[in-house]
This record gives sequence, structure tokens and C-alpha cells, in this order.
Amino acid sequence: MIPNTDSALRMLSQRLMMQLLPDIKSEYNLSDGMLLSMLMMAVADEVATGIDTRMKDIAEMKGLLEQGRGYHDAGNLISAEPDSFSLKDVNQLHDDLTRHLIELHARVETAGTSEASQLVGDIWSYLEAYTARHAITSLG
Amino acid sequence: MTITLAEVAEKTAVYLAAKWQCQVDVTNIMKIFGGASRETYRLEVVADGNSRGLILRRDPPTSLIDTERELEYGAYAAIYPTDIPVPEPLFLENDTSIMQQPFSIMAAVDGAVTDVTTLNEEQKGLIGREKWQLLGSLAMKDPIGLGFDEFMEVPELDQCAAKQLAYWEKVILEDEIHPQSIAHAAIRWLKNNLPPPAQKLSVVHGDYRSGNFLFDPAAGIKAVLDWEMCHLGDPLEDLAWSLDPLWSWAEPENAGGLLPPGEAIRLWEESSGLALDPGVFKWWRVFASLKGLAIWISSSEDFQNGEGKDSILAMAGWLMTDRQNQILLNYLSPHSVGEWKGGIT
Repeated sequence: MIPNTDSALRMLSQRLMMQLLPDIKSEYNLSDGMLLSMLMMAVADEVATGIDTRMKDIAEMKGLLEQGRGYHDAGNLISAEPDSFSLKDVNQLHDDLTRHLIELHARVETAGTSEASQLVGDIWSYLEAYTARHAITSLG
Repeated sequence: MTITLAEVAEKTAVYLAAKWQCQVDVTNIMKIFGGASRETYRLEVVADGNSRGLILRRDPPTSLIDTERELEYGAYAAIYPTDIPVPEPLFLENDTSIMQQPFSIMAAVDGAVTDVTTLNEEQKGLIGREKWQLLGSLAMKDPIGLGFDEFMEVPELDQCAAKQLAYWEKVILEDEIHPQSIAHAAIRWLKNNLPPPAQKLSVVHGDYRSGNFLFDPAAGIKAVLDWEMCHLGDPLEDLAWSLDPLWSWAEPENAGGLLPPGEAIRLWEESSGLALDPGVFKWWRVFASLKGLAIWISSSEDFQNGEGKDSILAMAGWLMTDRQNQILLNYLSPHSVGEWKGGIT
């Protein structure tokens, strides 16, 4: 068992890059191996924070969909919780909420009210926060 | 279906011997990393006592860009006689019994590199000037006169933008594994702000960026590569793609890591004889980033669901999606300060 999976992945990635790849003769396999090593680093970050990041997205999307009920009804999804904290279940709820957020965004863009304009700005703020949260820093 | 280097060498020798009607020996072969749309091999062959370098590109089971090889090969053949340098196209083979997948063979371009990050300032200037002058020269050409209409669809001038948008929107809708909020917002913006008809119909390379040409740092560009997304359309499309901030992530002040965007545009205008309307160009810049995003979304889908598990598909699908989302936010969010617009509205 590896309790700290993210740091274990980072160590394995470093071992691949620093100790194993230098002995590879094929230029193609060396480039491929370096890319794999970098991807392992990014996967390590996902293992460490991926669920937390998505749960923050989910909370913010629920807030926006609640605000935008008058323009688009996301139904019971606003109060839904993931079936479990597995990545698959969290992703499922994240995807469902995102589909509704896309629909809400499209509707408030054309609604023409000051409330809708405010909501448009709030959705863009969420998209900025979402992008910042998911930014991949370990790949250069 | 995998194929070994030895098999590629052996089958190529047999194939070329039949084509050239002489003894052909492959004396060296290596697979080139980074061919995201085709498996790419560099070969040295001796035919009839003469040695020459060749590039063989073989279709993989899946690729980053779903391309049609006939169109790409046709583009190389049509451009080869012009002032735009491209490798000499030699053979296109669709018979899958030879190497399991279709393939093409071209002459190798010797003594040239693709990485602009190693250039000094003088070399960047040289290569950069030539890069956008060549793009301007491509924009001014008559695609019908070059015979492109014989193998490519010819869009109406007022349909160039809409057709491209429809194509890439379809790619996103079909391939998004997770719903992409920023892509959908960009699609809506592009549909609501379609540009006027193109000034002229041009050959659009489709992937004109640093990394897709071979150059000698001291002597200039020797070959423009990777015409797999070539089509006929609005010449602003290529210019916008060439200036996308994705290609200058580490050096945002220089488009493609070579020249300031304003200078690149000036060179393109001079060379093409066309004028750039900043309002219209904004549409093409947003489109360029959406198209990029579509390609990265598609590569992610290929990696997850396709036969190809090439690491470059995963890298493109993950890292590039992230960066392209940041660029689109920069262009479209009402809160953006627009630092990546490079002085272009």
C-alpha cells in the first residue's frame, strides 16, 4: 500500500526521468519517455487535489444555477451530491452541472435584463476560477 | 496495428524498387517523435547506386488531426512548383496491403531544423520575417490557378468563416468527453459575430506555426510542412492561427517565438497585398483558439477511447486544452485585461 499516492507517483516519475531514461538509446523512445514522466507528474497533482478541485467547481456551479433558476431550471441537481467521492462519481455530477451551466449561460446572454447581465459576469468569473483551479503547472 | 522499424525499412525497399525499377537498399531508418497526425520515419536509401534521404509518413490507427491524406498530398503537389518551399512529394500509397496503413513518401530536406527556441535574436528576425512573408505569398496566390479546385471544395467567399466554424463545432460536439463551457461560450460568440465575406479565396495551410517548417538558422526557411489541414478559405485564418498565443507561451511578446505580432502582420500585409481589419481579425483570432481547443479535445478523446495511446495525444489533450481555455478567457471574458491580444483588438 502507498498511503501518499501523489508523492509516490512523483518519485516514480523522477526515477524514470533521472535514472532510466538516460540509458535509452532510441531518440524516439527517449522523447516518449520524457513525455510520460511529465504526464505522471500531472497525474500526481490530479490524485492529490482532483476531487477537491471538482467539489469546489460543483459548489460554485450549484450557486450559479440557483441564482439563474428564473432563466433555466436545473431541477434537483442543484441539491445533488455525488454518489461517492470516487473520481467517476464526482466527474458525473460535475458533467451534469456543467451541461446545465452551459444552457444557463446561453440563456442569460440573450435575456437582456440587468440581472441576467450580472449573471453573465458571474458565470465568466466562475470560468476564470475554474480555469485557474485546473491549470496544469507541472507540465511546464 | 504496430509495425517494426525493420519491417518499415524492408517494405519500403521493396516498394521503391518496384516504383523505380532498380535495386533499392535502406541504409538507415529512424522514427521521428512528435508526428501527431502520422507516424513519421526518416530513411536513407541507396537506389541505383545513388544515396538520398526520404521521409515516409504512415497513417496511424488514430491521429491528433483527422485528416485526409489525398488532400494533404495534393496540396504538397500543387504548392511544390511555387515559391513556397515544400518537400518534393514522391508517392502516395493507399493500398493497405503494403504497410498495413496508407502512407506517403517525400524527399527529405537536409541540413534543417524545426526548433526556434535555440535561435539568437538575429536568426529569429531572419526566420520570422521569412515566415510571415511566405504566408503572405501563400495568401495572394490564386488557388484555382494552382489546381486546388480539382481536389478540394471551393467555398463561397461569404461562407469561409461559417463553414470552418461549423466543422470545428462538430468536432467539439462529437469528441468532448466532458462538457466544455468555455468552448461553448466561444462558439456562441463566433456565431453571433460572423465576419464579412473573405477579401479573396486563398490556400489556407491550416497549421502554419513555428514547428511546422524546416529552416537553416543562417539561410532561412527550407520547407513548410504538415499540410494535412490545408483547405481553401479566408487568408486571415492562417494569419490568426500563426499568431495564437499558444505558439509563444514561453515568450508572449514574440508571435511564434520569433517576431512581435504587429511586425508579423505588417510583413504579411506587405507580402500579400491584403489589408487587415482589426475588427474582422478579432473573429479569426477567437476562431483560431477555438479550432485549437477542438483539436486538443479531439486528441483527448482519441487517447481515451481510440486505439492510439501515444503520449503526445495525452499531452495535447490535457495541457493544450488548459492553455487554450486560458487564451479564450483572455479574449472573451468581460473581466479580461486582454494581455494576450498582443496589441491587436
